[in-house]
Amino acid sequence: MSLLPAPLQAVRPTFLTRTAPVARLVAGAAWLIASIVTLDPAVPARLILAAVVVLVLWSGLPLRRVPARLAPLGFAIASLTIFSILLSSTNGDRTMTTLIEVGPVRITWPAVSAGLSIGLRVLVIALTTLLVFGPSDPTRMADSLVQQWHLPDRFAYGTLAALGVAPFMASDWTTIGAARRLRGLAPGGPVGRIRAAGGMLVVMLVAAIRRAERMALAMDARGFDCGLRRTHFRPVHTTWRDLLTVGVALGVAVAAIVLPR
Amino acid sequence: MTVTQELGAGRAVSGVEGAVAATPPLPPAIEAEGLGWTYAGRSKPAIEGLTFRLEPGRVLLVLGPSGSGKSTLARALAGLVPHVLPGTMRGRLVVGDLDVSRTPARLLGERIGLVFQDPDSQLVMSRVDDEVAFGLENRGWPLDVMRRRVLEALGQVGLAGFEARSTKTLSGGEKQRLAIADVLAAGPGLLILDEPTANLDPPGMHSTFEQLGELARRRDHTIVLIEHRLEAALPLVDDVLLIDDAGRQLAFSPAEEVGRGAIKLLERSGAWLPRAWQGAGAGAQHVATRQGSGQAGAMAVTAESVRVDYPRDESGLHVALKGVSLSVASGERVALVGPNGAGKSSLLFALAGLIRPATGRVAVRVGGSGTEGSGLVPRNCGVTAPSAGGGEMRDPARLPAREIARAIGLVFQDPELGFVATTARDEVAATVRALGSVRGGEDAKGCPDPAAAADEVLDHFGLGGLAGEDPFRLSQGEQRRLSLAALALRPPAVLLLDEPTFGLDRRGTDAVLDLLDDLRNAGQAQVLATHDPRLLPACDRVVALDRGRLVFDGPVDAFLAAPPYEPAEPWREGASTVASGAAAASASAPRVGRA
Repeated sequence: MSLLPAPLQAVRPTFLTRTAPVARLVAGAAWLIASIVTLDPAVPARLILAAVVVLVLWSGLPLRRVPARLAPLGFAIASLTIFSILLSSTNGDRTMTTLIEVGPVRITWPAVSAGLSIGLRVLVIALTTLLVFGPSDPTRMADSLVQQWHLPDRFAYGTLAALGVAPFMASDWTTIGAARRLRGLAPGGPVGRIRAAGGMLVVMLVAAIRRAERMALAMDARGFDCGLRRTHFRPVHTTWRDLLTVGVALGVAVAAIVLPR
Repeated sequence: MTVTQELGAGRAVSGVEGAVAATPPLPPAIEAEGLGWTYAGRSKPAIEGLTFRLEPGRVLLVLGPSGSGKSTLARALAGLVPHVLPGTMRGRLVVGDLDVSRTPARLLGERIGLVFQDPDSQLVMSRVDDEVAFGLENRGWPLDVMRRRVLEALGQVGLAGFEARSTKTLSGGEKQRLAIADVLAAGPGLLILDEPTANLDPPGMHSTFEQLGELARRRDHTIVLIEHRLEAALPLVDDVLLIDDAGRQLAFSPAEEVGRGAIKLLERSGAWLPRAWQGAGAGAQHVATRQGSGQAGAMAVTAESVRVDYPRDESGLHVALKGVSLSVASGERVALVGPNGAGKSSLLFALAGLIRPATGRVAVRVGGSGTEGSGLVPRNCGVTAPSAGGGEMRDPARLPAREIARAIGLVFQDPELGFVATTARDEVAATVRALGSVRGGEDAKGCPDPAAAADEVLDHFGLGGLAGEDPFRLSQGEQRRLSLAALALRPPAVLLLDEPTFGLDRRGTDAVLDLLDDLRNAGQAQVLATHDPRLLPACDRVVALDRGRLVFDGPVDAFLAAPPYEPAEPWREGASTVASGAAAASASAPRVGRA
């Protein structure tokens, strides 16, 4: 009865699904950095265009489900953009070109430009995350981090196990809230809600810790981190695809910044 | 043999291909001599003085009540005690040629496999073949050997062809067989299973036991089984080890030669007993002789053509309930059964108004007949039983907080998730403190203060000495009783229960059913979702769900005679038990269930 949606994963093999996860991590990082180095909204706009092209052609993700997945972000992006525009300090600067002036509210072109840039950055982050993590499952990411970047097993596979039990925390939360409502303890008002959430959080964490203890014991029983050198059932090697991915991503990032408007 | 020599031997096993491929020709014997274990920070030992010798290739069933240290014994055999968990060990434990306490854990792991109860907290990887390989990777096996062993192990548990499947898409039984494949892959001679079917529905339990029977017949492994589902387990078993509630050994012998004295002692300790033993020293067990009340009052809760949808990413729109209609009368106990994913939890949540149906409607009686006469409410509280059938039917999702607590209660499979307070006393008093002690907003005239009333309730529920304890520190059985006690000061007219006896021994199950009987006899309507066929005879009616549809609504006997599932075999296990039990039962207990 978990209400938490499963992560969006590739459903058909494509170019990106055959790349090493760490290569996509590097490529994605390049785009994220590019999107924040200037306040020019054209940069994130170009990166979004590129991301959509990659998403459609080479990600293997089920495209029909992407809009629904991004929909909750729409609200965040819209409010971020609007508030950035309304609260921008340039609105008070009389040397800037006025776009709208209604009573005390004055909005300038630079404010709109900066606001758009902030909103679009969030969209870049969302799309890039899809392209980095969507083409292969989290296990491949852990394999790649351990084999190619030599991250500690305990960290990589421990995180993986934690990701696996995360959905149970969401269903636990639902159950805890349900129990309180049925016992007539549903909080009234925002203060009551926040106080009740604190109590619910304690219960959820206790349950999560118990679950984590069971998982850790099961992993120990199977020799995890027992002191022997670990081998790999699914070797990950760097291929020409990885180099191409990183190269093209870097190229696109630079082009997005330097291309004239 | 010294530790260094063993280390060398272990390396050879993990490194050289030829040595890995075959299971050792002779599975190990287990020799325990005065084995005891006390967890760090506890004064009482979890197990004490266990002395037995299990011959190679035999199957041992460990029997004992809750808290008898069965899981501790499993952990000791796997070397988690003393190598991973802190505590003090006494005596000696030898598996094959390895002295467990002096052998490094990494060597034990390849010789000894341990399967746990909960499939969801022992699967690490998201793909089936990765999951099986995980233990082999940890021990540094070469890739080509891993590839072969993964396929072999999956074949051994009937999961050939499942390699690329996501573990999330497996059924409970498949997950648990995968967990068995995980430990089989390393080729251990000793296989330990700690309640492997406790979390499974009847089909899952059936398939897991079929697979275990297959393994047991091959005699390639020595097997230690801890299991509450005794009727399914007993046919596989050669020897039994009986432990009492203090972790002390009552008997160790071949299953068919257990003495009457030992059986009596085991029964007195509160453990479940196999039905075959009940003539030999043990009386018919209490839970088995319970019956439905046979009476029903006015409708307490109704669902009409309820449809519930969940958005699910994997399969588009996933329908949780497809037009389910159901009504439960006050004073009636209905069993809700069905495989995992059939919609039992969704139906409970819909009846409680916690999820709104997409179509159809749910209604509960508000302000009508309650359960005030149950004797659970302190008499001086000024509460009187209203006339049955009064009140009106309302949508539970729209009830205000002070009315919903009176109308509907829900006890979850994991009682911890329902706890709201830091002491048992506050837990019982919480609702009354929040809403006042008398129903419908009347004054709390002549009522003792909530803490005193709570103490009275705790006494009634056998939790008298624990009023100041943290609910999270109580035992499983105590937690379960506390979750019911928490509803006692304002007993709801309808009580919904999700696996209310999960993990309890016979004594714990009886205690819970006694309390439920009191409430039901006072007019409470109860819906009890369960996988445990032992509970069915205690119900008036069975409602069965399958893939979101109601497939049966009728008497218990009719359900057991013709279970509405395909295949029906796993569900019939209860039926044959009832039939043969009834033949053997005395006139005073006409409907004996499995026990």
